[in-house]
Amino acid sequence: MAKIGIPRTLAYFLYFPFWQAFFTELGHQVVVSPPTTKAILDRGVEDAVNDACIPIKIYHGHVAKLIGKADFIFSPRLVSLRRHGDFGTETFCPKFLGLPDMIRVAIDKLPPVIDTRIDLKPGKEELLKACQETGDMLGHEGKEVLAAYKKALAVQKRFNQLLAKGVLPHLALDIIEGKKKEEDLNRDGFDLNIAVVGYPYVIYDPYVNVGLLKLLEKEKARVYTQDILSNKILNKQQKYIPKSLFWYFSNRAVYGGLYFMKQKDIDGIIHVTAFACGPDSMVDKLLEIECNKHNKPYLTVSVDEHSGEAGVRTRIEAFVDMLRYRRATR
Amino acid sequence: MIGYLGVDVGSVSTNVVIIDEKGEVIASRYLRTNGKPIETVQKGLYSVGEEVGDKVQIAGVGTTGSARYLVSMIVGADIVKNEITAHAVAASNVVKGVQTIIEIGGQDSKIIILRNGVVTDFAMNTVCAAGTGSFLDQQANRLCIPIEEFGDYALKAKNPVRIAGRCAVFAESDMIHKQQLGYNIEDIIAGLCEALVRNYMNNVGKGKEILPPVVFQGGVAANKGLVAAFNKYLGLEVIVPKEHGVMGAIGAALLAREATKKTGQTNFKGFNIKDISFKTDSFECNGCSNACEVVQFYENDELIARWGDRCGKWEMSTR
Repeated sequence: MAKIGIPRTLAYFLYFPFWQAFFTELGHQVVVSPPTTKAILDRGVEDAVNDACIPIKIYHGHVAKLIGKADFIFSPRLVSLRRHGDFGTETFCPKFLGLPDMIRVAIDKLPPVIDTRIDLKPGKEELLKACQETGDMLGHEGKEVLAAYKKALAVQKRFNQLLAKGVLPHLALDIIEGKKKEEDLNRDGFDLNIAVVGYPYVIYDPYVNVGLLKLLEKEKARVYTQDILSNKILNKQQKYIPKSLFWYFSNRAVYGGLYFMKQKDIDGIIHVTAFACGPDSMVDKLLEIECNKHNKPYLTVSVDEHSGEAGVRTRIEAFVDMLRYRRATR
Repeated sequence: MIGYLGVDVGSVSTNVVIIDEKGEVIASRYLRTNGKPIETVQKGLYSVGEEVGDKVQIAGVGTTGSARYLVSMIVGADIVKNEITAHAVAASNVVKGVQTIIEIGGQDSKIIILRNGVVTDFAMNTVCAAGTGSFLDQQANRLCIPIEEFGDYALKAKNPVRIAGRCAVFAESDMIHKQQLGYNIEDIIAGLCEALVRNYMNNVGKGKEILPPVVFQGGVAANKGLVAAFNKYLGLEVIVPKEHGVMGAIGAALLAREATKKTGQTNFKGFNIKDISFKTDSFECNGCSNACEVVQFYENDELIARWGDRCGKWEMSTR
């Protein structure tokens, strides 16, 4: 039995249930780094290359936090999850592709890294191959791995079903882990509907976005994100833009935005973006142009290293005021 | 006579106004915050209080600006509003049918788009404060020209030179370079004004449909050079309200009028808060590795509020 360390950021927010179930089923213990803190950010800023975006720096901090607590760091090389886009070449952002290499170079005293390559372009069965490869590294036989893989798929399915019901990923994770009950979720008392689009690790990490979702809840706004939409709905949106983007998470954010801006009961759209994100320079402009066409209020919230919430708060308050006035005069 | 008080505490200036029931300004103060919001508000309040004396009875108080929550506790505010809403309310009140508001303050610049009296879109500068009041202050200082005369210099220019306006550091080195080449100071200052407008339009105003009437407000609107540069760029006459420097405070007062109409009572603590001692201290929470700096706020040695923690552990149920 080994301790497998998983950083609580980046792909964690969408795919953790699968990998946790997989490793647990194989008899290992999964250790997750704690929620992002100032100390994690500081460590990340210290270790990561200077021109990386904040999420990548934070990832470094999370990995460092697992040193001494885990025998392995699970940092898969996420290449792609599907054949998608105009040339079928959609990938994750380049920094995801180089993630295992980056942490190896940047962080001292790192435990061995499990850097299984995940490239599902040829087909879904590639995931089982990746699992076999991962199982191999830990000395497991094919049969064992297959059983763990099946169990992991079932758990991930339960998680995805929660998302389909409108439960946001960070809450669905709490439910899967037994920290929260589904029936305890707050579903009443909202008088605005706001779609928040952007990358999971920016939207669901309250440290990075200085408590944006909580702030919206306080303002009585119910939050929807692209992650509660089915792939079918998301992919349908592709036809509304001349060309899809190259990056997986970017396409999800754009498609989600495109869907929500056509919904009458959605009052406005917020795009949360990490300062200096390359793909987002396109995502943000695209969403802005499309929102204008649909006459849907649009706000960009740009986050970086600042810990002060004043800037975000002022913008959110003003945005919510604006939506309420619009509603009242409609 | 009944009046409403509005307080706007921003990074550079603290503004206090009293309006009557019709929304006309009875008294106003424009003070430098100098990093001491509490003292400045106490001073400003005392001073307008002396001016209006017993003639005005305050029926509602509103606060806005980046220190709006702190100040709301000092004055006993009935409503706390963000700057964008406050500025929009004030401009709508002064210029009927306003469709675009350009607001440039000490460290913020914003654009607010209204249609049929409702805010439909807005934008604020993101991370960089180039082109806001503090930068102009600095440049005026460097050129040894009082900031009040900055605009007059710009108006005297015959051929404004081109200055890089994207970044305050670039702008400064560009200006120095042009000075060394022998261009005259009027043309350089006018060039700077045009650069700031260009930068504002590219940054804050990008993609926005700017329709007249356009109101230009905030402390920087006092600069005639910038007004001229905006007129030239937009091809129309921007309107600078008489009270352009205190519009945020006017908006807060108007919002207070609206808020107290429903409740019929106010939390106002009176003008004479000069003798109340307000103080803050802070400590580093060691509950987790966030190490939040928690601020504690005291009124006459009684702890009445706390903020600065991310998890809500230290929050007090004052509001």
